[in-house]
Amino acid sequence: MDRLLVVRCPDLLEEDEGGAVLRTFAEVIAAVEAYCPWVTAVRCGICSLPARGPARYFGGEDALAEIVQEAAGQVTPAEVGVADGLFAAVLAAGRGLIVPAGGTPAFLAPLPVALLGQDDLTGLLDRLGIRTLGGFADLPDPHVLGRFGADGAHAHRVAGGRSGELADLRQPRVARLLAGGAADDAPMVAEPGFWGGVSDADARAARCLAAAQELLGADGVVTVRLQGGRSPAERARFVTWTAGERPRGAIPGAMRPATMPGAPWPGQIPAPAPAVVHPDLIRADLADVRGEPVRVSARGLLTAAPDRLSVEGGPWEPLSGWAGPWPSDERWWSRSRRRGARLQAVTARGAHLLLVERGHWWVEATYG
Amino acid sequence: MFVSAPDRRLARDLDPAALATLAERTRPVAASRTRLLPVAPPLAGLLPDRALRRGSTLTVGRPGDDGALSIALSLVSAASASGSWCALVGHPGLGAVAAADLGVDLGRLAILPRPGAAWAEVTAAVLEGVDLVVLCPPFAPRPAMARRLVARARERRAVLIVVPGRAGWPEPPDLQLRVDEAVWEGVDAGRGHLRRRRMTVTATGRRSAAHPEQRRLWLPGPDGAVAAVGDPLDPAA
Repeated sequence: MDRLLVVRCPDLLEEDEGGAVLRTFAEVIAAVEAYCPWVTAVRCGICSLPARGPARYFGGEDALAEIVQEAAGQVTPAEVGVADGLFAAVLAAGRGLIVPAGGTPAFLAPLPVALLGQDDLTGLLDRLGIRTLGGFADLPDPHVLGRFGADGAHAHRVAGGRSGELADLRQPRVARLLAGGAADDAPMVAEPGFWGGVSDADARAARCLAAAQELLGADGVVTVRLQGGRSPAERARFVTWTAGERPRGAIPGAMRPATMPGAPWPGQIPAPAPAVVHPDLIRADLADVRGEPVRVSARGLLTAAPDRLSVEGGPWEPLSGWAGPWPSDERWWSRSRRRGARLQAVTARGAHLLLVERGHWWVEATYG
Repeated sequence: MFVSAPDRRLARDLDPAALATLAERTRPVAASRTRLLPVAPPLAGLLPDRALRRGSTLTVGRPGDDGALSIALSLVSAASASGSWCALVGHPGLGAVAAADLGVDLGRLAILPRPGAAWAEVTAAVLEGVDLVVLCPPFAPRPAMARRLVARARERRAVLIVVPGRAGWPEPPDLQLRVDEAVWEGVDAGRGHLRRRRMTVTATGRRSAAHPEQRRLWLPGPDGAVAAVGDPLDPAA
């Protein structure tokens, strides 16, 4: 399950008629996006972002939470929390907690069952004498499925920290209004051509994907949109799949690389793009012909020609070619005055896009 | 009008037996349109029908093959672009830009990156309503599990494309694609950038095992799309 950081703005949880609350919330999202891309509006007053990547750049989840809280706090009072999965992360935000990785089940256990927001289920469990999420999670799976049905079984997985989120946690309308951040005014709309009942194929796909979400949780099925950016990871934005939504038109800045010569992203790696972008960076070592580690100087130059590569502590593989480095100074790096670079490296087994930062090499993507 | 008028006269003048013959002759043509899903032209020569047959299962790549995911994505691109839904199950690190450049319509691509232990159940659910499913099994599938998914694909008339990776795939597929050679061009010692990959792909069918088909492809070509090596229209040639 993904590590998620959630920002919860207690004053913005209820929409008003004039839309002032949503506009303020859009400002919050924009303020956070100045530091981290991939901010998603969950519902009015609550947004989330994947914590892993940014936490690495900022030097830990604590540091990240502090920076995000300060950014959002410029706009409105904000609470920040981190946990595994959206349900736990929202609760963590309400308590200003950073739940350590793997600690989500223990964090949820003492909390009341009513937080699942399902009155029927809460009532049934109450009669069984079960009042905490942990007590509910302790019930054996077959028992829960038989007694509470598929919805209950899903809530059971969420209560135990095994599944990320409840289906009705999100307000897709709000996410739609704010999709792509405040500056992005391309609304997501239901396209009659695809979703107006015209296409049977779309309706069938929607049904089976909803069934898959029943099994995996809403965040188990995602879809992707392209946006501007330097690195392959920056240029894709993964969002939870929601029936009936398709982005209308292009997202500003989202173009195919072949049609985007150079500008407006200096430092962008030229096409073609890698087929695999590793969700977590993979540790790598790069050495010169004498076996000495290769580094990048302050001026962005390699200290020696790379000769061999080792991935995740594996055996050394000779390089048959390499190219770069391309400087990579993402927004958050410039704040903390860190510089990095990217390098393409080819071995007999394939080609990788490597990232170096603070003297460490990583495999960021693979041309699989 | 002048086309349909002779047809109507034909139907009226022919006896029932001749009509039945006519129907028999025309039926497979009509059926084949719905039986097959299109593929990008450079890949057509690898497939027995020059297209993907609905209900069939393919495997792509052996463990350690460079480029298996690229082949799988290029196989679904044409169908995706012409309106079919695709799902990618079990791959947590799709390079979305590469997929788009290969021609996959991201608006009709559902990604189920981490299905975990429920992967087979989820794949079965998705095969219910999605035309093309690319499956990267996170764990070694048991034979009964694999058989069930193959049967589900056949029954739902979907195409199941398995990228077995290290997990393997215990069922013989209808068609097996493997990478025999993959060479990147464009980089030297520090100069240039990756431009294109020349790839030799071999297809072995269950029935036509004696006649494996082999094609040399640029996958990806310089613009990220797939092209045939030596194609006179190939701008990279």
